[in-house]
Amino acid sequence: MSTAQEGLRPTPRVVALFSHGDRHYEPLDPVEVRYEVEGLDDEPPRAVEHSVLWFTEGKGEEDLGVHFFERVVAPERLPPNAPMGQFSCRLPQSPLSYEGVVVKIRWCVRIRFFFDSGRDYVSEHEFTVGLLPPARPLMTIP
Amino acid sequence: MPAPVPHGAVPTASRLTSANPFSTRYTRPGAVPPLDASGQPLDVGRLLDRVHDGCWVIEGPHGRGKTTLVRALITAAAAAGRTTSFVQVRSWADAWPALSSVATAGPGHIVAVDGWEQLPRGVGVLIVAMARWRRTAMITTAHRPIGLPVLARHESSPALVAAIIERLPDHRGTILPDDIEQAFRSHRGNVRDTLATLYDRFEERRP
Amino acid sequence: MRFPRFFGKKRGHRRTGSQAWASLGDAAFHAALLAAGIVFSGLLLSGVAVPEWRINQHFLATDCTVLGKGLVRRTVVAADRSSSFTWQPCLRVRYDVAGSPTESWSTPSRSTTASDRAKAVAALSAWKLGDTVPGWYDPTAHATVVLERGYNWWMWLLTLLLPGALISFGGMGLARAIRRWGRSQERCAVPSRFSDLLDPLAAGPRQAAEHPGVPACDDLVNSPGTVLPYRLPIESPENWTLLGFGLFALLWNSVLAVLGVGAVVDLVRGKIDWLLLTLLVPFAAVGIASLVLFIRRGLLTTAVGPTQLEISAQPLRPGGRYEVLLAQGGSGTLDSLRLALTLEEQATFTQGTDTRTERMTVWACDIRTWVDLQLTPGARFEAREAFTIPRDAMHSFASQHNAVRWSIAVHGQPAGWPGFVRTFPLVVFPAEPTIDHGGLRREASP
Repeated sequence: MSTAQEGLRPTPRVVALFSHGDRHYEPLDPVEVRYEVEGLDDEPPRAVEHSVLWFTEGKGEEDLGVHFFERVVAPERLPPNAPMGQFSCRLPQSPLSYEGVVVKIRWCVRIRFFFDSGRDYVSEHEFTVGLLPPARPLMTIP
Repeated sequence: MPAPVPHGAVPTASRLTSANPFSTRYTRPGAVPPLDASGQPLDVGRLLDRVHDGCWVIEGPHGRGKTTLVRALITAAAAAGRTTSFVQVRSWADAWPALSSVATAGPGHIVAVDGWEQLPRGVGVLIVAMARWRRTAMITTAHRPIGLPVLARHESSPALVAAIIERLPDHRGTILPDDIEQAFRSHRGNVRDTLATLYDRFEERRP
Repeated sequence: MRFPRFFGKKRGHRRTGSQAWASLGDAAFHAALLAAGIVFSGLLLSGVAVPEWRINQHFLATDCTVLGKGLVRRTVVAADRSSSFTWQPCLRVRYDVAGSPTESWSTPSRSTTASDRAKAVAALSAWKLGDTVPGWYDPTAHATVVLERGYNWWMWLLTLLLPGALISFGGMGLARAIRRWGRSQERCAVPSRFSDLLDPLAAGPRQAAEHPGVPACDDLVNSPGTVLPYRLPIESPENWTLLGFGLFALLWNSVLAVLGVGAVVDLVRGKIDWLLLTLLVPFAAVGIASLVLFIRRGLLTTAVGPTQLEISAQPLRPGGRYEVLLAQGGSGTLDSLRLALTLEEQATFTQGTDTRTERMTVWACDIRTWVDLQLTPGARFEAREAFTIPRDAMHSFASQHNAVRWSIAVHGQPAGWPGFVRTFPLVVFPAEPTIDHGGLRREASP
């Protein structure tokens, strides 16, 4: 739960580096992510979760599918002991990133920090899987 | 099929951040802070100060931000250390979670019941009686007066819609003030449906 | 092989906080259901099931001699505070317990409680004083004796079903709420052995193996075709529409008939209920219209005849070329018959009391169109056509609230009748990637 001091506490800053600089991948490609986080001096996290997931966006309720999940609690792998974090996984065959009209599918990595005070902080970084052209409202092709 | 991206081309940065700002992800209750009819932020803390106990209602027609406000109140109450629960009532079957939440709450707790008119008639009376007996604060949302003290009465305006849009990701000039006015009028002030129409406008004019 | 390039920094979205408060009400509700189920099952077990089991398993057999007959009187207080009595026959019996004679009252189970004393007295005539009847007594409480035993299976069913439903529903919901408590959205969404069991509604549609997000196509491949390998199931709601029209017409006209009879009876008696007569006019109009619509829809459904579609392969892949066999039955003339391949997006959003589903066709291609088609009764019009799934096409996708659907639609326009559309769903998998020995990726040719 958020605490009353939330507004006064500076928010951390996460910089994520992908193995593909253009953040474009194909199905079954390995994805490697390294990240640096700043602004955690006041309160070191007690755990961090790494996720690779897809989610839908558009006019419908947001659905999501988690492909890779890892929860790290070992202090030697957490800031400030480990200023840089990393994780990797192999992407599945589907779903592909899709730029539809009322349904869009996006892939991202999420890095979520948990603190002893009960608050958590999440940073999300998108990437693309596959190379599909965007969809448009119907144009009938005879 | 529309012409595919040429082989070897890479998605540009704009593709990565080409989200439609009117997607439900950005417009669902809780994503935008509650605003009043003129588009100014509502003082959630001041409203919360009035809710120590008793039963309250947030009134307003469809799509005016009642759910947004009640969620903001619950979040603020939780942040202030109060025990809270939230029940979304979509049909009579949700009456039992609402009753249970009030029955298991205690003094100082806040229970939010979103969708009062969906409750069977007698259940609403029972919830109010139980909340008073348990000395629990109960906030509900309704489209018309239901005999409870009004915590907030929600109306909408094009200014409200414009203020919401300012808090959404950049639409890159695809939405004009006339679009807002027209959509607002065609949906008779329903902000939710107005934003859904603006979603379509953005998709049509997407750069 | 690509080497990692660690440049190109991008910032992402940031959100803070968790919504544990949303789980509290959910947990409280399910805990209340679980508690109610436990209490209810405890009451039923201790009050009904266990005593009955003890009677059948532990009570000792004996012979009982009927010494006397009587009635048990119970007072029943009604809602209006008036009281009445109920009467239940009972027998005074004597039996031996380890050689010692014991007497006690017992209620024969085949005697029922009656509100009429005379009936209860008449029921007692089934037993005579001095009769010997079989009985069973409680070895731990000799004064307790029963004159019948056996199992009321329906009572055991009730004991298991109702509390069982409360316990399972409440228990699963509580487990789900506890599992979600304090957990991040991502952690809750990680599939586990228990996730489908605890939250079946959130599981979403069944997915194809090795292809997350792609709907399973088992239902599409389990029906063999007569010419091509697979026969496609139809998605058309025509039959449901017909059923809906029929039910509405039946219900409405039944109510109309009752009202009509009532009005006629009143008229015969010389009473004129103007309100009823006024209401009957629009009611009758609606009733007649519903009948006409139902008959018309029924004639259309039967006259047009069935549409069948077979396909050469499943599942489909982008870039693949496939054959379909269209078979259209019926009689009369079809002004046009059109076979089209479509891609549709579907998004469902629920907010408050509103549930909204939006559908958007984002791509369509006519496979073939026929005009002025003459259908012969007893024979079928058949045609074999080919189509290609575009190489850069999006695959089929289905999640709990969103979907991307491929289908083949058959649009028919019978002469003089409303048109019809019959839809046959398809599942398109992503293109199959392969990696050759050089480590370069290229797409497999379908």
